[in-house]
Amino acid sequence: MSVGELARPAELGHAVLGTYLPRKEDDRLLRGAGQFTDDVDRARAAEMAVGRCPYPHARIAAIDASAAAALDGVLEIITGADVAARTGPIAIMRPVPGAPAIPHFALAQETATYEGQPVVSVAATSRHIAEDALELIDIEYEPLPHVSDVMAALAPGAPVIHPGTLESNLLVSNPQGRGDAAARMDEADVVVEGRFHLARVTGLPMETRAVLAEWRSGAGALTVHTSTQAPHLMRTQLADSLRIDEGDIRVVTLDVGGGFGLKLGAYPEDLLACLHAISLRRPVKFVEDRNEHFRATTHGRESVHDYRIAARSDGRILAMTDVYTNDLGGLNSPFGSSQLSTVVFNGPYKVEDGFVERRIVVTNKTPIGAYRGYGQPEVNFAYERLMDKLARRLGADPVELRAMNMVRPDEFPWVNPVGAVYDSGDYERCLRMAAEAVGWAEHRDAGHEPRPSDGRYRGIGFSCYVERTGYASAKFLAARGSRFGAHESVTIRANRSGSLDVYTGVSSIGQGSETIFAQMCAEFFGCDYDRIRVHTGDTGASPLNTGSFASRTVIAAAGALLDACARLRTKTLRIAAHMLGVADPGQLDVVGQVVQHTGDLTLMVPLSSVFERAILGQGLPDGELPGLDETSYFEPPEAAYSFGTAAAVALVDPESGEFELERFLMVHDCGTPLSPKLIDGQVRGGLAQGLGQALGEELVYDPETGQLVNGTMMDYFAPTACDLPPVDLMHTAVPSPFTPLGVRGAGEVGCIPVAAAIGNAICDALAPFGVEIDRLPITPERVWRAIRDSSRAST
Amino acid sequence: MNPADSDTARLGLPEPNVIVTTQVNGTSVTEQVPARLSAADFLRHRLGLTGTHVGCEQGVCGMCTVLVDGQAIKSCLMLAGQLDGCLVETVESLAAEGPLSPLQERFRDEHALQCGFCTPAFLMTTTALAASGRTWTRAELREELAGVLCRCTGYEFIVNAVEAHLAAGERNQPGD
Repeated sequence: MSVGELARPAELGHAVLGTYLPRKEDDRLLRGAGQFTDDVDRARAAEMAVGRCPYPHARIAAIDASAAAALDGVLEIITGADVAARTGPIAIMRPVPGAPAIPHFALAQETATYEGQPVVSVAATSRHIAEDALELIDIEYEPLPHVSDVMAALAPGAPVIHPGTLESNLLVSNPQGRGDAAARMDEADVVVEGRFHLARVTGLPMETRAVLAEWRSGAGALTVHTSTQAPHLMRTQLADSLRIDEGDIRVVTLDVGGGFGLKLGAYPEDLLACLHAISLRRPVKFVEDRNEHFRATTHGRESVHDYRIAARSDGRILAMTDVYTNDLGGLNSPFGSSQLSTVVFNGPYKVEDGFVERRIVVTNKTPIGAYRGYGQPEVNFAYERLMDKLARRLGADPVELRAMNMVRPDEFPWVNPVGAVYDSGDYERCLRMAAEAVGWAEHRDAGHEPRPSDGRYRGIGFSCYVERTGYASAKFLAARGSRFGAHESVTIRANRSGSLDVYTGVSSIGQGSETIFAQMCAEFFGCDYDRIRVHTGDTGASPLNTGSFASRTVIAAAGALLDACARLRTKTLRIAAHMLGVADPGQLDVVGQVVQHTGDLTLMVPLSSVFERAILGQGLPDGELPGLDETSYFEPPEAAYSFGTAAAVALVDPESGEFELERFLMVHDCGTPLSPKLIDGQVRGGLAQGLGQALGEELVYDPETGQLVNGTMMDYFAPTACDLPPVDLMHTAVPSPFTPLGVRGAGEVGCIPVAAAIGNAICDALAPFGVEIDRLPITPERVWRAIRDSSRAST
Repeated sequence: MNPADSDTARLGLPEPNVIVTTQVNGTSVTEQVPARLSAADFLRHRLGLTGTHVGCEQGVCGMCTVLVDGQAIKSCLMLAGQLDGCLVETVESLAAEGPLSPLQERFRDEHALQCGFCTPAFLMTTTALAASGRTWTRAELREELAGVLCRCTGYEFIVNAVEAHLAAGERNQPGD
C-alpha cells in the first residue's frame, strides 16, 4: 500500500481515534497483576548471579572457582573460556557506519575494558547462594592503564584499549556535509563557536533488566522471558550468538517496566541465562540488581560538541558545523553509540552549507547505548546555546533570529545538508506561540534589572528543535549496516464472540501501544474498542517486526493495521452479504458489533455470527476459504520530523548561582494526534528525563581510579515528584504528508530541548555578567563558577 | 567447571531460617523462610503477590512500598521475619476481581501510569495518605509522593490523580 492510498483523518468515520480511552494496559497494572519478567516464577528455577570486573581495565590472569563449585546449592559456574566455546560474539544490530567490529562475548575473555563487565557467572538454587559463590571465586586481575575521559582517550600516549583492532581509541570518524562550510565561515560577518560537554547519564527504568530462560530438553525449544523493547530482534541475536536456529527460540516479553532505549539488544546476561538453562536442563532466572544496573546496563549521552555557526550581520545563517566526539565506553553495545546528532545537527534552521563529523571514542567505562533522543538532545544543547550567543553578538532578538532562519512551511519537503528529508511543519508558529505564552516581548523590553525584592535576575530561554521519528525505509537502514528493517506488522484474528485479537511483536514498555493499536483497529475495522485485545511481545504469536524504539511504532504499525483491517473487513462483509442475501457487500458496513445494510438499517447480522461462520468454515459463500485472520506488514517510505519550541523562565541569584525555574513550557507538534492525553504523557515523561539531565543527572567517574563514584540510587539524582518545575504543554497538529494518518512520533521529544532552554534562560538572566553555560548538568555551583569566571575575565 | 549439582545437599545448608506468621491482605500466613529473605521477596516469591515490585533494594526508589500496620513502608528494607505479627496490605488488596477501586479509577482516568512498574507503590502511598485524614496543598502532596520514583510520567498526572482522590474524600475500597 502506498502512502497516497492511506486514509487521512478527515475520511475516518468513527470517533475512536483522537480521544482518550481507558488504556488497555491499565486494569492489570493497577491491580498489581502486570507480568514483569521477575513476576514469572517457574518450579525448580535456578537463579544466576554475575561476577563483574571491579577495575576499569584489567587482564584476567586466572580464575579459581573450586571453592565456589563446592558450595552446596551451586549448580554451574561459567567463565570466559566456556562462553567462547559455546557461543559466538554478541551481534551488533546498529553498527556505527565504517567502524571496525570489536567482537565481544557474554563474559570477558583475556581483558575486561570497563568496571562492571561480566567475568564469571554462577547458577545456584537461590540468588543468595549464587552471590555467596561469587564471594568464593578467586579472580586474579592485573590492572592495566585506563582512560576515563573521552578527550583524554584521544590524546597521544593514552592507553589503547583495543590494541588488536585499533591503533588508537578512535573507533571511527564519520564526516558528512554539503556545500562549502569552510568558505562560508571565512566570508561570514560573524562566527560563534563553543565546546559543549554533555554528561554521561542513565535512563534508569524503574524495572531493571531481567531474564528467565527455559530449555525443554529434546524438544529443542528455548523459551526466553526477558524485559526487552524488541523481542524479535532479541530472538535474532540469541540465535546468532547461541548458534541455535531461531525457530527453536521463543522470546516472551509481557510487561516492561520502562525501556528508554536501554532495553534494546541482547545483553551478556541474556545469553548466560540461556547457557545455564541449556546445560542444567532447568529454568534459570537472572534479575539485575540496581548496583549492577548502574554499571552493566548501557549509559547515554556522553559527548563533546565543537559547534560553529557563521552568519551575516543581518542574522542570516550561512553555515553550521559540528565536530563531535561520542564516548563509546569499553565496548560497542548492540545499539551502540547514538547517531542522530548528525541527522538533525542543524535543528529547524535552513542552512545550505553544513558539515558534521562524528568521532566515536573508546574509553574504560560502561558501554554507551541508545537512550531516548539518541543524539538529538545532545546536539540541540549545542546549536541552541549558540543561537543565543549569536543573538547577543549581533544585538539581535533571539526569537527573531531563530524565526528568520527556520525552514518555512512552503519550503517542505526540505533536505538538510546531511540528507535528512524534513517532511512538513510550521516551525515558526510554535516559536511564536511559546514566545507569546511566556511573555517574551514584555521581558525583552523590560531590560535586565535585578528584582528589587530579592536581587535575583529573571531570564527567558528558548530551544527550538526537530525530532527525527521513525526510519526512512529499510534502504536507509541497509546503507548504514543496521541489522533490522523499518517495518511493523500485525496479525488480526476474529473470535466467535465477535471480538478481535491483535498480535504484535511490539512490547508494552509503557507507551500505550496496546491502547493505540486497539483504537486504530476499532477505527479502521469499525467494531467496538472494548471488543479488541492486543497481545504484545511474544515471538511465538506475532509476525516478524522491528520493535519499540526510535519513536516509530505508531508510524509503522498504522500502515499495517490499515491494511489488515481493510482485508479483514472485506472478507467479513462478503460473508455477511451471503448470510443476509445481499448481492453487493459494498452496501454493508461494520457498525459496532453488527454488520448492517447502509440503505436498509433493519438488515443486519451480529459480527459474532459472521465470525463464527468463518471460524467454523461452514455455510460460507462458494469459493470462500474458512478462517478470519489477516497479517499485514508496512514499511514507511520516509521518516517524519516532529518539531516545536520549549521555553524556560528562570530566576537566578547572581551571588550564589542558585536558580529557580519559575516556569517551563513546550509547544509541540507530532502531526495528527491519535490520543492527545497519551501524547501529553509521553512528552511530560520525556521532559522529566530532560530536566533530570539538565539539572542534576551525571554519572561521575573518578579519573584516578576509573571507578563510577555515584552508581547507586542514593547518589544519582533522578527527579522526584517535588523536583520538577510547573510544566505547560501546547500543541499544534500539522499532518505529515509522508506517514499513515499524518502521524509523527512523540516518544523521545521531551528529552530534546530542555537543557538548552534552561541554559539559555540562565544566560539571559545573567546577560549583564556575560555568562555562558556550556556543560551539563547545570547546577548552582556551575552557574556560580561561570559568574566568577566571567567576572575574572572582564577585570 | 564441574557444577556441583546438589539439590539434596541444600538440606544441609547452614542457612538460618525463621518462622514468620503474618496477616497479608486479610489472610493469615505462616511460612518458614531464610533469615536473610527480604519482606519484598517474601511477598513476591513466597506468597505470589507480585504487584509489589523491587527497584533498588536500598530504600530509595520506593517500588516496594506496602502498608505494614497501616504505615507505608519500603519492604526491601525489612526482612520477612520482621513481618511476624504484623498486618500487611499490598496493592492486591485494593480490588481483587471486582471493579477497580476509586483510587485506581482516578489513576486510569488521569493517565497517571505508563509502564505501571511504580503504580502499586503510588497507590499504597496514597492509600496511607487517605487513611490519615489529613489535607495537603499540592506542593505538600508532591513532597509526600517523593518517596516513590517514576521515570515515565513526569509525575504531573500522578499528582492530579492523588489530589482528586484525596479531595473527593473517597474511601479506597473496591465497590464503593
